[in-house]
Amino acid sequence: MKRLLRVLSPIARTLILLLVVGAGTIALVRFAPGFFSDERELDTKYADAARSELDEQGMRDESLKDILLQDGQSWLNGDLGQSRQYRVPVVQLLPSRIATSGLLLGRGLLFGWLLTICMALPASVARRGGQLWGLPFTLLLATPTAAMATACILSGMGGPVLVLTLLVASRDFKFLSRILRGAWDAPHLVHGRAQGLGLSALLRVHILPNVAQQVRSLGTLSVVTALAALIPVEVIFNVPGVGQLAWTAVMNRDMPVLAVVSVLLAAVVALAGSISTNKPVLEAA
Amino acid sequence: MKILFATIALGLLIAGAALIVWLSPSGYAAQDREETLVSSSSDHWTGTDALGRDRTVRVAAALLVGLAGATAAAAITTAIAAGFGLLAGFSHPAIAAVLVFISDAFLALPWLFLLMMARASLPLTASPAQTAILTFLCLAVLGWPACARAIYRGSLSLRTSEWFMQGRASGLRTPQLIGHLLPHLRPLLLAQFLVSIPVFVVAEANLGALGLGIGEPLPSWGGMLLELDNSALLARTHWAYLPIVLLVVVLFLIETLASRKDAHA
Repeated sequence: MKRLLRVLSPIARTLILLLVVGAGTIALVRFAPGFFSDERELDTKYADAARSELDEQGMRDESLKDILLQDGQSWLNGDLGQSRQYRVPVVQLLPSRIATSGLLLGRGLLFGWLLTICMALPASVARRGGQLWGLPFTLLLATPTAAMATACILSGMGGPVLVLTLLVASRDFKFLSRILRGAWDAPHLVHGRAQGLGLSALLRVHILPNVAQQVRSLGTLSVVTALAALIPVEVIFNVPGVGQLAWTAVMNRDMPVLAVVSVLLAAVVALAGSISTNKPVLEAA
Repeated sequence: MKILFATIALGLLIAGAALIVWLSPSGYAAQDREETLVSSSSDHWTGTDALGRDRTVRVAAALLVGLAGATAAAAITTAIAAGFGLLAGFSHPAIAAVLVFISDAFLALPWLFLLMMARASLPLTASPAQTAILTFLCLAVLGWPACARAIYRGSLSLRTSEWFMQGRASGLRTPQLIGHLLPHLRPLLLAQFLVSIPVFVVAEANLGALGLGIGEPLPSWGGMLLELDNSALLARTHWAYLPIVLLVVVLFLIETLASRKDAHA
């Protein structure tokens, strides 16, 4: 029983957290100025009676409790609510956008990690010039995502994948090279190297198993970093993904879409956290 | 040496920016419609933007606005985080669990998304000064959870320290003990404060680029990035890249200072 509770309690905690995130998003948007404005009110083709009906409908929708109940019901129905800006069920908007963003995120993380490993390995074993290896990443670290994306567009070089790659690599390089340097300089490894152990044996048997946990935590952080960068990258490069959907939903007070996107992003963060901590909690965020 | 260089360079940049804004005859908002999108000249050292406003003055003002706002927001966020972290660290475990859950709820979403939602929920059609205050207030109010977790962990370790136990055993009250705690937490708080400044400058730039930053005509890093989608501007002058270059230099210098303090903490 105790073991079952130990397994279920973090899962329940994560589910409650996702509910709080969804409800919090709805409450935030509900009290935003201009939430009840309807573009049809400005349209002259609608008669005064129709416009007053729109007003009344707005007043009826005012209660936060009703909004939460209505949204909960549409979640149970499986259509996730009706988008205010696109006038279609939210569930129809998601699949293609999730695929686009997932692919972009996956590529950015993959290339970012490849670049980080390729640069961090030599930097961590180099006796001199470690700071020089890190200089490009330090400069990239000081560049906001939006500035990086804008510079890419202006110069006509690179795209969203390059921006995410550079962003992930710049965030992870310092930590990974520090982790690897710590492992490389460990007394037992210095002894092993003095005994003539080969580099591949050192990496495979001694270094990688020791740093695996830290690298997994770093992996979680890079997922969260890339996820946050997805919004400006998709908006600036005009990629029709979840980030762009989130941005248009924020600008148009599209509450059903925002609630779904918030829960989706929180779920991805929770999942990423569970990979590094072996339990589904959001500690790693 | 490195930290000294960064301090001097940053100080010179701030002093230079303040001088440029102060000595400017027309100000950052003045428009010269006869000289739009011009390259460098004796009147406009780094050219003008699409509305004929002097780029040097605007970049200098953006530097000052960005740094001042981010520093104020970092001070507020560190104060909130200190209060929250200390409260969680020294309260009943059940209350601490609720407080940690609240900070987890904030950390469950990518920060920029949360920031974007919160900023869009506030009035967007306000005066430039009001939008600047709202933007940096948003950063301050939403920036505390990660910092609070660090302070909470610091408080927990101090709570079990020998001197603290002895203080409690000797009959010191909690307010008195907190008075003794703060000097121990000072390096951690200073590091969190310094680390927050570049984070907030970057966040303001990203928010501005999404159209949710400081309103025109007040110059800001984000607003200047937003201007760069005007390709006609870039065809005429490479000075248009100046805001990006200067932003990277400023952030590089602040992060040099912050990372050194972080290492000491």
